[in-house]
Amino acid sequence: MDDHVDVIVFCCFKLWYTSCIDFCLSMITLEGVTKKYTRKATALNEINLQVDAGDFVSIVGQSGTGKTTLVKLLIAEERPTQGRVTIGGWDITRIRQKDIPLLRRQIGVIFQDFKLLPQKTVYENVAFALQVAGEHFFRIRSVVPQVLSIVGLEHRKHAYPHQLSGGEQQRVAIARSLVHRPKILVADEPTGNLDTINTQEIIDILKKINEFGTTIVLVTHNRDIVNHLRRRVVTIHEGSIFSDEKHGKYRL
Amino acid sequence: MLSLFRVFTFAIQDVLRNFSLSVMTVFILVLMLLSVNSLLVVRVLTDHAKFSIEDKIDVTIYFDNEANSDEIEEVQSYVKSFPEVVSVKFFGREEVIEQFRQAHQDNPEILASLDELQENPLGATMVVKTRQPSDYQKIISSLQIPEYETIIEAKSFADTEQAIDKINTITTNVERFTLMLSALFTVIAFFIISNTVRVLIYTQRVEISIKKLVGATNWFVQGPYLVAAFLFSVASMVISYSLTLVALGYLDPYISVVFGEELILTNYFILHILLIAGVEFIAVLFLTVMSSLLAMRKHLNV
Repeated sequence: MDDHVDVIVFCCFKLWYTSCIDFCLSMITLEGVTKKYTRKATALNEINLQVDAGDFVSIVGQSGTGKTTLVKLLIAEERPTQGRVTIGGWDITRIRQKDIPLLRRQIGVIFQDFKLLPQKTVYENVAFALQVAGEHFFRIRSVVPQVLSIVGLEHRKHAYPHQLSGGEQQRVAIARSLVHRPKILVADEPTGNLDTINTQEIIDILKKINEFGTTIVLVTHNRDIVNHLRRRVVTIHEGSIFSDEKHGKYRL
Repeated sequence: MLSLFRVFTFAIQDVLRNFSLSVMTVFILVLMLLSVNSLLVVRVLTDHAKFSIEDKIDVTIYFDNEANSDEIEEVQSYVKSFPEVVSVKFFGREEVIEQFRQAHQDNPEILASLDELQENPLGATMVVKTRQPSDYQKIISSLQIPEYETIIEAKSFADTEQAIDKINTITTNVERFTLMLSALFTVIAFFIISNTVRVLIYTQRVEISIKKLVGATNWFVQGPYLVAAFLFSVASMVISYSLTLVALGYLDPYISVVFGEELILTNYFILHILLIAGVEFIAVLFLTVMSSLLAMRKHLNV
């Protein structure tokens, strides 16, 4: 019985969700992007990358090769030293400070350390992303249970983050990233703190979200995940793109 | 409107869920306000002491017993014409001799020798009070003109000159001291409050960055802290003022023994409640708001 309800909720959400995603071929475009933190410390060097709508791209590479810098450029936490970054047709290279919140409501981001607000419950953490966007009570009351059911955490909505396991916390973070029906979901080492079983759960949820039509950028150094996915793999080495394969494997 | 409501809700939620931290902050604010209030008590007391000492000082002008009433009246109106003069009390010859007899009624020798004299040897006197102790010098020197030499027999100038000087130095020094102490306290209060707020914001830096990453505007991140600063200011103001009033209730009986007046301090703090509480509240609010804005600026750059 519960399963049926889940399926119905899921289908409704998928319909509502996919209908809202604009048709746009190139979701993320990086043209000749270089990022230097100091004169000598070059994090990214002349990166050219295009991610199409609905793609599931894994970005792999060793620690310190510039993967996290790439994520920071996508959510405008850092600005490129050179080159151009376009998200869904919006040039964010020189984005104004006051437009950054708008950008972040269109890109879902999840991190290795979950980044949940410790003083808020699961429900409040997810609702917060809607509240800051000025959404109405009624919408919040309908959207939050929907996204929580996608990640299977409806029954824990009154728990605080410290009362949850790592996998559950990451699922809350995913639910929170979905509330604005993002066109892009950027996952920066989402399974870095998780065991194999939880890792698989998170990856399955990401796949499910990708089926809705959301573009997924998965940054990881987990060999098993990448090899199982059999999707596009971009390998970064020392700040440059080392390889870009449509059905790739983890190299290096 | 909706966002304002949410900012208030978040603020109250934050204050309650970080209860121990909120209590600590209010506690520090209360301590600072209490020390400011005790400084104010010191000021009120020194002012009062100064006033009551100054009230006891006066200059007495002794007229020659041959001076006629026209001349006396002229001097009187001349002295009264000074703006510094607060009051002039005149005692006629009869009054003076009566007072003299009263003062020496235990000494029959003096009274007997007074009786031996055929006429009243004492002249009329005039007691002058001025606004400031330093003004006496002016009054006294203005009476040292040749026309008045025959009319005025003596001035209690030489006796009081030193006392007046001393009181002047004491009061100016006390004023300078309390002013310096107030300045020092203000600086200390400023640093303690701004550092408390900085620590508070520092403990919240992760939350601030998360809120920004989720797409909150700066207003949404800062708003709750500003509302919390307002709540802290109100709470600390109310607590410190009530504590001060309770403490003064215990202190006043001892003070009234010294000055012979009831409830000096309590009355002062109740009479000036709007001024004191208002200024302290605005100062604390300004300090907490400014320091939280400054402390947050760094963490908002995400």
